[in-house]
Amino acid sequence: MNCSSEDLKAYLLGELSTRDKAPVEDHVRACENCREELERLKLTQTALLALEEEEVPRRISFVSDRVFEPRWYETIWRSGPAMGFASAVILATAIMMHGFARPSAVSPVAPTVDTAQIEQRIEREVNARVDAVVAKSVSDAQVKQAAEFVKVLNATEKRFETQRQADLATVQQAAKYYEQKMSRWEVAFNDSRVGQ
Amino acid sequence: MIFREVEDRDLIAKARRGHVDAYNVLVSRWEKRVFNYLLRLVGHREDALDLSQDVFLKAYQNLKKLEDPAKFPGWLFRIAHNEAYSLLRKNRPESELAVDPKTGGESGGRMFPIELSLAVQGALSRLSDDQREAVLLKVYQGFKFEEMAEILSCPVSTVKSRLYTALDLLKQTLAPVKMGGAE
Repeated sequence: MNCSSEDLKAYLLGELSTRDKAPVEDHVRACENCREELERLKLTQTALLALEEEEVPRRISFVSDRVFEPRWYETIWRSGPAMGFASAVILATAIMMHGFARPSAVSPVAPTVDTAQIEQRIEREVNARVDAVVAKSVSDAQVKQAAEFVKVLNATEKRFETQRQADLATVQQAAKYYEQKMSRWEVAFNDSRVGQ
Repeated sequence: MIFREVEDRDLIAKARRGHVDAYNVLVSRWEKRVFNYLLRLVGHREDALDLSQDVFLKAYQNLKKLEDPAKFPGWLFRIAHNEAYSLLRKNRPESELAVDPKTGGESGGRMFPIELSLAVQGALSRLSDDQREAVLLKVYQGFKFEEMAEILSCPVSTVKSRLYTALDLLKQTLAPVKMGGAE
């Protein structure tokens, strides 16, 4: 290979294929002039790359512009969720219309039987539940009533006992009183008999 | 990179269906590259920003014409190239003065990053518009020669010619500087 400034520049700029690189590298190793030339080119490139990029003084951005925006039907057509929702609405409308338009198409026998069975089952279920609730309520009321009765009975017995104790004390006091009075009468009687 | 391409393709597809938000995401990914390409080409910040907005607006309006979404980068930069050259043709005298050329290419002492940056800007500004654009598309944007030919609407041989000449000119200015700085 002869000295070629163009080949050196293409080599420097990464424009040579792997196959074309090898002869250039071999030549540069052997040729001092080309080695110096390549070195200067590398220094030039390094100097150029030392120039830092500047920040953009103001951010460039675009606001929504109706001229470039798609039409409403294009937006719906291209939007997955919107299309899904629209499909669901159409499907629901179709089902409703089908229901209104063909009421007699439904078989008259099977649904009646099913309905009666269902009604009976519901009635049994409701009755069972009502009975259970009533029974529980009655049971609760009875328990509450019994507790109330016991409470009143205890209070009454206590009151009677208190009254009985009071009466007993009164009787004992009266008996003591009469006993003292009888003793005095007896002393007075004996004294009068001794005096006669 | 593969994922990024796929994502760009998805965004393009959504934007084509009228999703402005998807297009805004696409803009946010590319605006910095397009802005810097235009800034280095026209050399004026406000012009570059206005051009960037025009580029993305035109891209949006013509997005349905893009046959292969994988070619979006080249297609976008082709629009940017056309917009930039419309302005350059209109404002030729101003654009020539846009970049401060005070930094020379003299080799010498070690350069600080800001000096190097100014030296590169100065060296780029001394290239012709065609040469500078070839460097921008190749070195900064990484396009292949064939892609550059499509963007610039010219043969690959023309692309190579512009780029190689530009590299020789830049080398005269920048390589000695770097070599001196490295010593």
